[in-house]
Amino acid sequence: MGKGAVNKLRNNVENSLNEDELFEFAEFDEEEAKRGGYSNYSYWRSTWKVFISNRLAAFLLILIAVLLVFTFIQPQLPNQKSPTKIHNHPETNLPLKNVKPNEEFWFGTNSIGQDLWARVWSGTRTSLLIAIIVGCFEAVVGITIGALWGYVRWLDRPITEIYNIINNIPKTIILILMTYILKPSMFTMIFAICLTSWIDMARFVRNLTIIIRDREYNLASKCLGTPTRRIITKNLLPYLVSVIMLTIALSVPSTIGYEVFLTYIGLGLPVSTPSLGNLINEGRLLILNPSQRYQLIFPAIVISIITISFYILGNVFSDAADPKNHV
Amino acid sequence: MEDRKVILSVRDLVIKFRLRGDILTAIREASLDLYEGESLAIVGESGSGKSVFTKSFMGLLDANGWIDAGSIIFEGEDLAQYKIEKDWLKIRGKKIAMVFQDPMTSLNPLKTVGKQVQEAIELHQGIKGEEAKDLAISILEDVGIHDPENRYKQYPHEFSGGMRQRVVIAIAVACNPQILICDEPTTALDVTIQAQILELLKGLKDKYNLTTIYITHDLGVVANVADRIAVMYAGDIIEIGKCEEVFYNPQHPYTWALLSSLPQLGVKGHDLFTIKGTPPNLFYEIKGDAFAPRNPRALKIDFVKRPPYFQVSPTHKAKTWLLDPRAPKVDPPESIRVLRQQWEVGNNG
Amino acid sequence: MLKYSIKRLLQSLFTLFIIVTVVFLLMRLLPEEGYFGDAYEKLDEAQKEAILTNMGLRDPMHIQLMNFYKNLIKGDLGESITFRPKVPVMEIIKDKVPYSLYFGLASIGISLLVGVGLGIAMARNKSKFWDKFGTGYVVFIRAVPAAVYFLFKQIYITGVFKLPMLFKIDNPKTWILPTISMSLGGIASYAMWIRRYMVDELNKDYVKLARAKGLESKKIMVRHVFRNAFVPMAQYLPATILFTIAGSIYIESLYSIPGMGGLLVEVIKRQDNTLVQALVLIYSSIGIVGLFLGDILMAIFDPRIKLQRKGGAR
Repeated sequence: MGKGAVNKLRNNVENSLNEDELFEFAEFDEEEAKRGGYSNYSYWRSTWKVFISNRLAAFLLILIAVLLVFTFIQPQLPNQKSPTKIHNHPETNLPLKNVKPNEEFWFGTNSIGQDLWARVWSGTRTSLLIAIIVGCFEAVVGITIGALWGYVRWLDRPITEIYNIINNIPKTIILILMTYILKPSMFTMIFAICLTSWIDMARFVRNLTIIIRDREYNLASKCLGTPTRRIITKNLLPYLVSVIMLTIALSVPSTIGYEVFLTYIGLGLPVSTPSLGNLINEGRLLILNPSQRYQLIFPAIVISIITISFYILGNVFSDAADPKNHV
Repeated sequence: MEDRKVILSVRDLVIKFRLRGDILTAIREASLDLYEGESLAIVGESGSGKSVFTKSFMGLLDANGWIDAGSIIFEGEDLAQYKIEKDWLKIRGKKIAMVFQDPMTSLNPLKTVGKQVQEAIELHQGIKGEEAKDLAISILEDVGIHDPENRYKQYPHEFSGGMRQRVVIAIAVACNPQILICDEPTTALDVTIQAQILELLKGLKDKYNLTTIYITHDLGVVANVADRIAVMYAGDIIEIGKCEEVFYNPQHPYTWALLSSLPQLGVKGHDLFTIKGTPPNLFYEIKGDAFAPRNPRALKIDFVKRPPYFQVSPTHKAKTWLLDPRAPKVDPPESIRVLRQQWEVGNNG
Repeated sequence: MLKYSIKRLLQSLFTLFIIVTVVFLLMRLLPEEGYFGDAYEKLDEAQKEAILTNMGLRDPMHIQLMNFYKNLIKGDLGESITFRPKVPVMEIIKDKVPYSLYFGLASIGISLLVGVGLGIAMARNKSKFWDKFGTGYVVFIRAVPAAVYFLFKQIYITGVFKLPMLFKIDNPKTWILPTISMSLGGIASYAMWIRRYMVDELNKDYVKLARAKGLESKKIMVRHVFRNAFVPMAQYLPATILFTIAGSIYIESLYSIPGMGGLLVEVIKRQDNTLVQALVLIYSSIGIVGLFLGDILMAIFDPRIKLQRKGGAR
């Protein structure tokens, strides 16, 4: 039964032009009656459909996937050079300083003779690693504190006060202060960025938790005997997963931004660690010398591609995850 | 009623929407005559198109919707041909005003209620400043707001839901329109407030000489205020007639179903009546009678050919093949017959 | 209103007190070299101890803290150590203020004007040219680190318009680029927020009512939507303005403008502890004052605030 039967009926009826027959009763099919509603809705499928229907996002997703894979397997590929090795001329044994891009050194060498190609990818690895650690920390700590903040009533006051204090000071100032006090290292940088980054996430999750706690549909769900676990997985989690994805995606451009900024004011990673910030900073010194600008341009392009892609992907995804944009 | 002047005449109106690449037909060749001074209720379930239908009289369709065919004749002009905002400004407020469903969000939270009423007056009544303010205060009083001088200066958040709806009504009245469309005016309100608001609307209708259209899915509201009822299903008016006619002598199976599902008509000990299934998907073309798939007593022709209007009385018509002389005799469900008997008893007693 | 303001003021003072204390205590964790300047290498242990004791750094922590509060109330933030030895910090900073003030005010003017204009254009022409153009600009400015796009601009714009790269007080041409550069970020933020809030407001029911009562869309934009969209921005406006006036750390050091932001970078490189401490305190206080003013401004604009906000996070 179902659609087929009705169509058959329809055809039969149309073919037999007998008018009287038309005024006979038709069979009633309950399934057919229900067919009008949109029942086959799936949150994740719709999210994915909306996301992928944005051509720019689809392109950037592929681009970033390729870039990520390449960044992390690059050292294992054949004929790759060490990012920190200083290359000397095989005959004169002098360092190959400021060699322009050629077949040997794809991005050229820097002012002390290191391979820029290797340094750019090594720097990208460092920066992405920091960003991912920060993003994960942000998600874990932000969600934990946010959930406690929203759910445990007596914690609301103290955490709100802490929030007000941290939120009142500009983030860059906290960053500067922390990195100034501690020794410059990868840990310092991650620590300093994490110190401030969880706060927005926590506030967001707190507001979400309060909504989840008090919204009528959840109350209704509870009254119907839905276990809390199911309310969390069905009503809260889809929302939260998209928030986490957005947070991690946006933490890439912002963390790279902080890293470049801190390096710029002299509080970045040690010069011996290649990072995007260090590369930009080295390149900056050559800005007045047009023939050596490639040392600035290459890292700048890579940074721009990565940050813009993650920024757009994060935003498109969070739009796609909004049920209002599903049909 | 037939001798009354037709103030607004809709013919074969088709309204379509574009949603993510698909086209949806919200109104399917609906026609309606609105008489001057009457009070018409359009009833139907959510998504039947009743709101879209009336919004098209004011050019208030969402940006992705358009009038695809048909006409809306008002004061000798076809509103369906209006394209630019400047045309609509002659109609909106001035001729046709609207009261929306949710008074909690219909007012600008950052402006005093008085200013919002005054804005409408200054737009349409050609007076400004103090004079307009005095009129605003008197309209606020008319809609039942006590101490209007002080309330004039207050912000929406200082008003309760019912009071806000009075302000929304005041804004509509302040435009001095001919037709007032009330889109679910009481749905968002407490039951106790609902009756007050309906009384107020009835009073204002007489005082300001308004023709009113109520959009609602609440048959209780309809019984209270309407002279005539139009039943809407899947973007078409399937039955229209005087209030008593539609209530007590309904003809369309959908109207039967709608009335049968009133809890008041339920029989103690029996389950409440429900209409099986869901309204048709408006993305697909609808063939025949849109209600047929949900109608247990549908005829074969209902799946094939769209029924025309059959006149039941001079003021009452319905779109169902059951009224065709060739159709078998179908008795309305028991509850509808009970309703009819009650009415007759009531009339006699 | 008054009650709310006083409550909010006390809250800000409390926050300020906490921040001052925390910053002071954190600064005590710093390596002690920072207090000696270039002389560090030449001194022996006893001399160092003597100097530290003399500076009050060997006193018990609570006494140090009390002294610090006392001096702070008098407006004394200590003396510079390495940057300009023995010169009072306040005096050094005072010289820097006019430059930061000029560039700050100029760039706020530009970014408000252009940013708000762009934001309105974007909201009114959703999904059309201006929206796409604006979104592209906003994405670029907000995603790419400022240092990177400043450098792009340094290379290309400077070349095209033949403008000098470094700032010189007596050459008015050199004032142009820094002012524009400082406005780029602001334009992006204002445009983004105005667009977002306006689109939010446009979808609200009261806009439909305003349309239904026959108000022109232009007037709806001005009288209802823009005004309401501006309110949530009002909260952050004072802080943004104050920070811009206080100087851009990037721009000032990039163009060698002798302002406060450039000073911060300079003293970090020179490890001048008292100056770093003073500047961090100044910037934090600006943040608090800015948010305080923002809340007051918002309460003036939005009549609902006084009722709604009973503590709690924003």
